[in-house]
Amino acid sequence: MSDAEVVREILGGQHEMYRVLVRRYQDILYRHAYRMVGQPDDASDIVQKTLVSGFQKLNRCRDPERVGSWLFRIAANLCKDYLKSPRRADLSLEGASERLASVLAKRRGPDADVEQEELKWRVQQALERLSPEQREAFVLKHLEGRSYGEMVTLLGASKSALKMRVLRAREELQVLLKVYR
Amino acid sequence: MNTELNEYMDGDRELEDLSPEARAEAEAWQRLTSELKADEPGQAPPWMENAVMSQIALANAPKESVFDWLLRPRTIRLSPLTSLAMAAAAVLVVALLPREAAVGPESGSPAVVQILVEFSLEAPGATTVAVAGDFSGWESDFVLEDADGDGIWTGRIPITPGLHKYMFVIDGTEWVTDPGAQRYADDGFGNRNAVLAVAPPAAS
Repeated sequence: MSDAEVVREILGGQHEMYRVLVRRYQDILYRHAYRMVGQPDDASDIVQKTLVSGFQKLNRCRDPERVGSWLFRIAANLCKDYLKSPRRADLSLEGASERLASVLAKRRGPDADVEQEELKWRVQQALERLSPEQREAFVLKHLEGRSYGEMVTLLGASKSALKMRVLRAREELQVLLKVYR
Repeated sequence: MNTELNEYMDGDRELEDLSPEARAEAEAWQRLTSELKADEPGQAPPWMENAVMSQIALANAPKESVFDWLLRPRTIRLSPLTSLAMAAAAVLVVALLPREAAVGPESGSPAVVQILVEFSLEAPGATTVAVAGDFSGWESDFVLEDADGDGIWTGRIPITPGLHKYMFVIDGTEWVTDPGAQRYADDGFGNRNAVLAVAPPAAS
């Protein structure tokens, strides 16, 4: 059953059919949210909010065949709102200190593991310094492997603006590269 | 960053076409991104589907009509003087009721579905264990049993589909968060409530 057919059934009153869309898109939304916010609980909250909000606004989805992209846009906006929220600043510090604690705890293990954990932590810290838009562009391009064409469709920004955001993100992260060389 | 490396990173140039220096940097980028990709849980948590469907079902549940609200039994304690004033006010309220409300609830409105949910808590030494939640108005009305005396208290409670918060109450006074809950939420007073997602029955 295509997405458009599922949407039609839901809008016709078969609300239980929304479960089909939840099953199709929850994982892809979750992976994006996790890459954006870096915390499994907050990523889950964002996905839950996205899917509930998607149901409530489903009649505003102009192209039901692309309902997945439409849900993705809701999630992407919620991720950016989250990263801009004042509460996020506290959580970010909390998350960073938790990760640091985890790195320190692993010092008891083999050195290689410690180095690996430290690297991950430094990368995460660098990602957190990016603006939400830069982070989003970097995540879509380099972690989700999307083309600029797909990114334009998903985010509604111009290709040149997206290229610029990715470039700025790379510049920010380049300081980390020396440890990977 | 140099131009040829950026072109490679944007997918406009092949790795083989890069200068040795740019190629080394490109390979470093590949290691960095694969490191980042490896550090992530791959799937939404298993409770997601039911939590979403429960919230949707809750939002679409039939609303209680004014007539239902007026007929619902409740305890009201009034002083004699207030009673007289309320009697006068009641006459006014009935007179102001819209015609539809006075007729009664809409015919054919679906019955409220309740799902039996099993609760369990290991509490050896407890005399009583009850469950209190938003479904009981936070009263410890639902008492669990430990028939075989093994310290594991269990019981089934009918709950409407949706997201619910609850706590266990041991011996009538000690409020305990369910250690095996699906999720948790701060109660705003420094404690954590357990959160339960009750899914509606699947459509037949």
